[in-house]
Amino acid sequence: MKNIARLFFIGFLLFNFWGRGFIVGGSLNTVYAQEQGDWKQEYAEICAKTQNAMELSVAELKDRIERADKLQERINKLEGPLAETEKKVFTKRLKMCRELYSFALEYKEHKE
Amino acid sequence: MVHIKKILSVFIIALTVPVLASAADYSESLQYLLPPAEYFGQVVLDNYSHKAGVSPVTFDHWLHRAKFTCRLCHIDIGFAMKEEMTEISAADNVNGYYCGSCHDGKRVFDGREIFDSCAEDYTENEGKRCARCHSDAESGARKYKYKTFSEKLTKLPGNLIDWEKAESEGKIKVTDFLEGVSYKREPLKAQDDFSIKTKTWTADVIFSHRKHTVWNGCELCHPLIFPSTKKGTTQYSMKQIMKGEYCGACHMSVAFSVWLCDKCHITPVKQ
Repeated sequence: MKNIARLFFIGFLLFNFWGRGFIVGGSLNTVYAQEQGDWKQEYAEICAKTQNAMELSVAELKDRIERADKLQERINKLEGPLAETEKKVFTKRLKMCRELYSFALEYKEHKE
Repeated sequence: MVHIKKILSVFIIALTVPVLASAADYSESLQYLLPPAEYFGQVVLDNYSHKAGVSPVTFDHWLHRAKFTCRLCHIDIGFAMKEEMTEISAADNVNGYYCGSCHDGKRVFDGREIFDSCAEDYTENEGKRCARCHSDAESGARKYKYKTFSEKLTKLPGNLIDWEKAESEGKIKVTDFLEGVSYKREPLKAQDDFSIKTKTWTADVIFSHRKHTVWNGCELCHPLIFPSTKKGTTQYSMKQIMKGEYCGACHMSVAFSVWLCDKCHITPVKQ
């Protein structure tokens, strides 16, 4: 009985100091990997409505502009062999899309 | 003396205008105002070429715009609207961006593999491939010639291709989506067409949002070229347009020339 209790105790300690660390560490790695890759997905979502920017509400436009600013910060921090090119390309693409939303927002705010 | 100069210039203009206007073929008059059609819209890129020991890239708009929309290249791929502002490097192309977005030696278009653009190392034989871009039209290294390329396409005065007609007649089919480069967008909702009032004897301009957005999307013009959000508040002159501002950003270099007045000024002339 004592041995079983000891095994449980050791197992509990191992889980807390190593296993949980592994799981948390693993999920952190996953988050990092996602951070590295999903910025393009975020770009795609933000800029998906440039074709009908004038149809968006003021709140939607403001949200997209805010998301674009946050994404730009992430793009500035890109690292890796493609970073220099990707920063150049996506900074310009994002700028054009953000500025269009800003243009549409200004138009709507003037109108109101 | 100043008066004599003024009188003389008025006299020259008075002589020139009727000559231009009465020319049997307006196309002939345009040859004095426009570059030869094969050079219209030609862009020379030399941010890094000379430093790297190769000829600058001579880019022909007429060849590419027969296959792709302006939006695809200037928004999705990210080419700047002004010469040499993109600062494309060979590394960018090797990484699959800019020219390398299509010219990667793998992508197939119209049943043909698109030749690879830049490479980190290349042999002397491969140098011929480099010369397809890093050369001028006279070098003989170019595969396509304007004359043969455009012979079946309807022309505007000045021997320029009538792209609008070419598209409506089905002679060209332009692509607006490049797999792996473009992202899915909601369907285009073009704004209404409107007229632009002129302050001279010329007819008003009918501006077609539909025609422009099909090729350009929205963000190519707004706010970069047309920044005002209040309709009718921006006033611009032909002088500014001819300097490459407003409509001149495209119509002085790539799209049909501003010298074809009646392509834009289409309402009846003011009395």
